[in-house]
Amino acid sequence: MLEFLSDNIGTIVTGLLVLVIIIFAFREVKKGGCSEACGGDCACCKMKPTDTEE
Amino acid sequence: MPKSTHALKIALAGNPNSGKTTLFNALTGSNQFVGNWPGVTVEKKEGTLKKDSSVLVVDLPGIYSLSPYTLEEVIARNFLIEERPGGILNIIDGTNLERNLYLTTQLLELGIPVVAALNMYDSVKRHGDEIDISKLSQRLGCPVVPISALKGENTDEAINAVMKLIQSGTATKPCRFDGHIEDYITRAESLLPSGVPIGVRRFTAIKLLERDSKIGEAFSDLPDVSAIVAEMEALLGDDTESVFTNERYAFVTNNLHNAFVKSAYVSSSGKVDKILTHKVWALPIFAVIMFLVYYISVTSVGTLVTDFMNEGLFGEGFEFFGKEVPGIPVVIEEALENAEVAGWLQGLILDGIVAGVGAVLGFTPQMFILFLMLSFLEACGYMSRIAFILDKVFRRFGMSGKSFIPILIGTGCGVPGIMASRTIESQRDRRITIMTTTFIPCSAKLPIIALIAGAVFGGAWWVAPSAYFLGIFAIITSGLLLTKLKILSGEPSPFVMELPPYQLPTVKAILSATWERVWSFIKRAGSIILIATALVWFLSRFGFQQNEFVMLDEDSLDGSFLAYAGSFLAFLFKPLGFGTWQATVATLTGLIAKENVVGTLEVLYGGSFAAHFSAAAAYSFLAFNLLCAPCVAAIGAVRREMNSNKWTLIAVGYQTAFAYVCAFIIYQILCLIL
Repeated sequence: MLEFLSDNIGTIVTGLLVLVIIIFAFREVKKGGCSEACGGDCACCKMKPTDTEE
Repeated sequence: MPKSTHALKIALAGNPNSGKTTLFNALTGSNQFVGNWPGVTVEKKEGTLKKDSSVLVVDLPGIYSLSPYTLEEVIARNFLIEERPGGILNIIDGTNLERNLYLTTQLLELGIPVVAALNMYDSVKRHGDEIDISKLSQRLGCPVVPISALKGENTDEAINAVMKLIQSGTATKPCRFDGHIEDYITRAESLLPSGVPIGVRRFTAIKLLERDSKIGEAFSDLPDVSAIVAEMEALLGDDTESVFTNERYAFVTNNLHNAFVKSAYVSSSGKVDKILTHKVWALPIFAVIMFLVYYISVTSVGTLVTDFMNEGLFGEGFEFFGKEVPGIPVVIEEALENAEVAGWLQGLILDGIVAGVGAVLGFTPQMFILFLMLSFLEACGYMSRIAFILDKVFRRFGMSGKSFIPILIGTGCGVPGIMASRTIESQRDRRITIMTTTFIPCSAKLPIIALIAGAVFGGAWWVAPSAYFLGIFAIITSGLLLTKLKILSGEPSPFVMELPPYQLPTVKAILSATWERVWSFIKRAGSIILIATALVWFLSRFGFQQNEFVMLDEDSLDGSFLAYAGSFLAFLFKPLGFGTWQATVATLTGLIAKENVVGTLEVLYGGSFAAHFSAAAAYSFLAFNLLCAPCVAAIGAVRREMNSNKWTLIAVGYQTAFAYVCAFIIYQILCLIL
């Protein structure tokens, strides 16, 4: 086990780093927003549809 | 923002383009989008006062009156009646006093302390106009503070005046009309039920007399005043709404007498408009300006910086004062080699994430230059003229000039563009606008334009501007086609728009608007594009060979999962000239976010994209990706604004079918020519 870890330490650390980056990227995507760098907190995103009908 | 934490609420109310959002940003330190055209604020915005966190400042949409004719007026009126802010800071465009004070006469009726902030006072003085502030204040019955929201002059004094007025408990007095009319108001007021608060009884009575259809939604059990209305109309010989409008203007004119002296100054905006909105030259001038904007940003100046980004920073490297500096991929590759990272992970990082995200980020300089110029054109007031100029063209094709504002906003991002369509009252016009707004190239489509223009056409001068004009062509043609449909037939609604004066925008305002858009682009590259390119890399580098799940080498990507999926649909694009699985997959990933098209092409072709496309196929690919269904975020916005699955499907289906036909025609014609 230790031998495997020491042989692949570069891959493991880099892999974890990539995983963290992807998780952060996911969190950003999940925040949503109107894509104007607002993170879902701007007036656009808070707007609700109005006099439209089904 | 929890409302309970604020002890006091102050509303900013005023005419469209009077500078409310600029003042809101100055008072709260917010960075809300400001534009030199009416209708930027469609929904109210809230922010905490910078110097006192217990005060909530609410920026209301621009309105001309408190009559519920438009969505903005409904939003503003409902807020003022239902939420009753502690005070109102009424922003008045000092260069257009009469019309702005018409709203003031209505705000004074709400029983809420009002302070008038006389904005653009620097322009008033420059024009040689004279306003006697103390006389005006005395006649209106409310404090008047001259300010310049743009320069931040006296803005603190204005908000202090509101707070002082609130603390003093002094209510501002409503304007008084002719004696007969006052009698009718008193009669109507006496019939109101006790449920109508004292502060809004006069306002409610006037609205009832005006036959305001929505006042009944604010208060229940309102009396029938039709007898008083009939009596009033018989005596005064006009409908009650016109009577009150005339009375208000009479009040304004009488009170401005001797308090306002207008000079014989002819604005430079008027002189410039004689050329820029000329009935013959306006459109050619617009075409030349937009050609230059796209030519400079994407083809000439922009390409120089982007070449450095793509070949230097995200490529092999660059020279810096005679010293070789390696590019980011080279540095990362060395680091991964030194750390003895496994081949598959190196592939994911270098050929997937770095290549995909780098390919998108490489276009940031072009985007920066494009938005710098577009922000200038918007802020100086030129773009609002274009709405006016295009109204004539749009009208010929069954559309309204109103559609241009969402289209203008859509050059940044289609989502707020689609949302901006809600200010269009006519459902028919709104639907057509929603269906066509995303035809204009948004920031996410710019990398596709730049990639095709640079890699396939060697930076030819006409490619980037033609993409913009293709968008305009698609909008106009769609107007013609869609209005032929029975469900969208009819006359376009009239378009009335006040042209704002030309102004030299501040460097800060331009840079701020540009940065907002560029930062959004960078954030997307680091989030959705990163995930998508990693996924594309995985699905394109793994597959089954001889019933075994294996990582494929560069020459056998045709056996990958993605190749199977792409090949399944590729036949659809054969008539358009790009029926390969790679181009198909790139187009499909563009539905997640349009920047993905470039990232995916880089991951799948590894920089040799141009070798796989003929000029005709490349332009057809560009046309299809510019015009087809927008990204999921924009489709979501279409769904929200249409509030109908059926109409969302019609919109997306129409856009894709239109893109297909357009790309097909372009490909066939270019094959004959080239």
